[in-house]
Amino acid sequence: MSDRLTPRERFGLLVIDEPQDRIPIFPLITSHAAAVADMKLRDYYTDGRSLARAQLRAQEVYGHDFISIFSEVGLIAEALGSRFEYPENDLPVLRAPLLSSAAEHARLEPVNPMTAGRYSVYCAAADYCYDAIGDRVPILAYVPAPFTTALHLVPGEDFLVELTTEPEAAQRLLERITEATIEFLLELLNHCALPVLVDPLASGSVISPRLYRQFALPHERRLIDFLHRYDLDIILHICGDTAPMLDILPETNADLVSLDRVDMVAARDRLGTRLRLIGNYDTTSILLSPPDRIEREVRAMVATCRNNPKGYVAATGCEVPVRTPRENVKAFIRGATTGA
Amino acid sequence: MVYQDPSPRRIAFSEWSEQFRQVPDELIQRFRYFADSGNQPWATYLFPPLTFALYGSRHLKRLKFDNSLAALRMWGFVMNETERLFRARQIGRRVVATMGDLGVTPPLVLGAGNALPFYPDCIWWLPFMNESSVLLDAAARAGIGESACYSRAALGAFIKRSYFPDPALCIAATGASCDDFSAVEQLVESLGFPVFWLEMPLRKDCEGNENLGTVHKQGQSPIFRKDCTDYGHSVREFITAQFRSLHQHLQQVLEAPLGVSDLQASLRKVNHVRSLVRQIKLQAYSAPAAVLPALELMVIEFGNLHFYSDVDEWTSILDHVLRTVSQRAAARRYLGPADALRVIWVTPPADPLLLSYAEDQGLRIVGSEYLINQALPELPVDDDPVRALAESLLQASLIGSTRYRAERVAEQVRQYQAEGIVISGILGGSHCALETNLLQDYLTKELDLPVLSFDVPSPGSLIQGQLKTRIEAFVEVLRERRRTADGGHE
Repeated sequence: MSDRLTPRERFGLLVIDEPQDRIPIFPLITSHAAAVADMKLRDYYTDGRSLARAQLRAQEVYGHDFISIFSEVGLIAEALGSRFEYPENDLPVLRAPLLSSAAEHARLEPVNPMTAGRYSVYCAAADYCYDAIGDRVPILAYVPAPFTTALHLVPGEDFLVELTTEPEAAQRLLERITEATIEFLLELLNHCALPVLVDPLASGSVISPRLYRQFALPHERRLIDFLHRYDLDIILHICGDTAPMLDILPETNADLVSLDRVDMVAARDRLGTRLRLIGNYDTTSILLSPPDRIEREVRAMVATCRNNPKGYVAATGCEVPVRTPRENVKAFIRGATTGA
Repeated sequence: MVYQDPSPRRIAFSEWSEQFRQVPDELIQRFRYFADSGNQPWATYLFPPLTFALYGSRHLKRLKFDNSLAALRMWGFVMNETERLFRARQIGRRVVATMGDLGVTPPLVLGAGNALPFYPDCIWWLPFMNESSVLLDAAARAGIGESACYSRAALGAFIKRSYFPDPALCIAATGASCDDFSAVEQLVESLGFPVFWLEMPLRKDCEGNENLGTVHKQGQSPIFRKDCTDYGHSVREFITAQFRSLHQHLQQVLEAPLGVSDLQASLRKVNHVRSLVRQIKLQAYSAPAAVLPALELMVIEFGNLHFYSDVDEWTSILDHVLRTVSQRAAARRYLGPADALRVIWVTPPADPLLLSYAEDQGLRIVGSEYLINQALPELPVDDDPVRALAESLLQASLIGSTRYRAERVAEQVRQYQAEGIVISGILGGSHCALETNLLQDYLTKELDLPVLSFDVPSPGSLIQGQLKTRIEAFVEVLRERRRTADGGHE
């Protein structure tokens, strides 16, 4: 791509409501970067330099607009005490949640973000990428929101039941996780990575809008408000079907929302004057469809969304699958570029 | 709302992040730019260095900062300027690029209430602050490469159109000044931006002429003397005519009247700023030890150029800084040791890390000649304001002899008992190549002081080892001279 602006300059204009030379392009290239760099996944998520080098390689190959420091959403839960296994060529797997129920929330103890779990891997990766290309490309690091972390600290199904049977204990646990997450966020800020708040398990595919508003949203908002103290523009990503909760999303105070399985026309009509939209090419399609079809569909998506009043970022709905063919991602980039 | 400044200290990036946690939300919400445009949510600016580092200002991770709330305000306000300029256009203000004259034309622009002047020239810091070649590369592709000074970054910014909104007008001063920047201005015009050319004449500096008198009140401009020859008269008439023409043109472009009372009101605001800066510098340079770091002092001095795009809020910040340094001086609470070595810094260092490093090594800046002498003195308000502005241009650092600059330095050496002089040359700056040696020769002979001169290398994350060694050696020379002067005791 021969552009007038660097990705950082482009993002800088987007967040102050100014037109850009083209819309930013943001396939959510996370662990897929390991495949691009021909790297074992375990190396990617256990070593900051490896994670960074994979991300830089992917950015070099595709020329997309953001670096994404991320592997999976158990990061904070692991740092707080849940046990994970690290398969050689797969993402970490939760083996033993720290707590058996939300009622055990008092067992959560303050931890040092830089010595707990793999958080230091993220920070090291952020440092490396920032030093390498931080003047030109925004460095994003995805941080799981409290609701998603809770589902990695307590057996997931049990916690979902407790939302109804033990709502006070669930809230208490979420509050403690929120406080811990603030410490992690602060550490990340000092490493110059812009946090992206991800709450995949607060999706409409998992909980109702009522439960979302009661248990997920307040904690998302508290983190976002905390980050707004630093004047940061915060992306909130929620996986799956968020159609039922579209109208609630502005209450999170997020600046940009990354949407997955939602009709973007509806999203634009209902949110477009209040939020910058990011989305939402189907990740199954980017994995399996032929490149020419991907390019065509992405171009159509961009044509639909590009005039969103508060701005738009052409993205995949969720993470690009690890084994997605490179040609497919390149087709996405071409479609987004020409559509823009 | 309780927030108290901690004991004065220069602190690193991460320390500000930690300290910022104690800053109440109410304070963040209280300080806003464009206060007259309503309670806009985007108008806050009290944020720590990490905010701006996250958006690409990588050098902030390496600098040291004053730990006062006033300094935090100052940094947040200065670093926020790009956004402020775009917001200005969004709320209907007319943004005018003033270029090359460094501080003289903005008061004229400010007189038109809805207009806002800014200096693209100041973009020259960005390659250093961002540790980035992005803007220099863009300038190189447009035809100006390493043979010109870092001010070429401004051309890159014009090409990018993402560092400031397209100006309603560019006022381009040229002539007896920086030829590198004149080339930048020509290329800006070639990009299609509307340019009004302002010719700066050569000043004939008269020395030893008993007819020469000071222009302004004592203490404001001790060196400049009116040239009362026929040449001097014609120069003053020429530049005044230039300014009258600019005055007319501005009214047409901005579609706003720019009457004498408007200009006088503008000059009063500008004088208030200049007065505050003068007082801050006086406090800082006269105190027994440092009450404000050199970096903050330089940023404050450069605020005289265009007030970082909001003169009212900048004035409030300067008030805050002055209160802070006055309280420190009164309480004898200092930032650095009393035995720091007192030096004058000549030519802005381009790389702000040099000032932090110099202070780390035990130097204390007690005077400066940052090439903006024309932006420092207060202006006569009650006379013809256009003529007053025009004549103030004749005090410009760069449009006369090197001796003029040297005498300004010498004056400060005597006033603040400086023990040495640092001259930082700008790589590619043609005037630096010529002037540095002349300045060094003059100052060494006249003052018998050690002078360290060097060219600031290209933007990067570190100070080159060789340069560090030279600064350290310079510090050792100054220490040895002080020991000798004290009869072997320091």
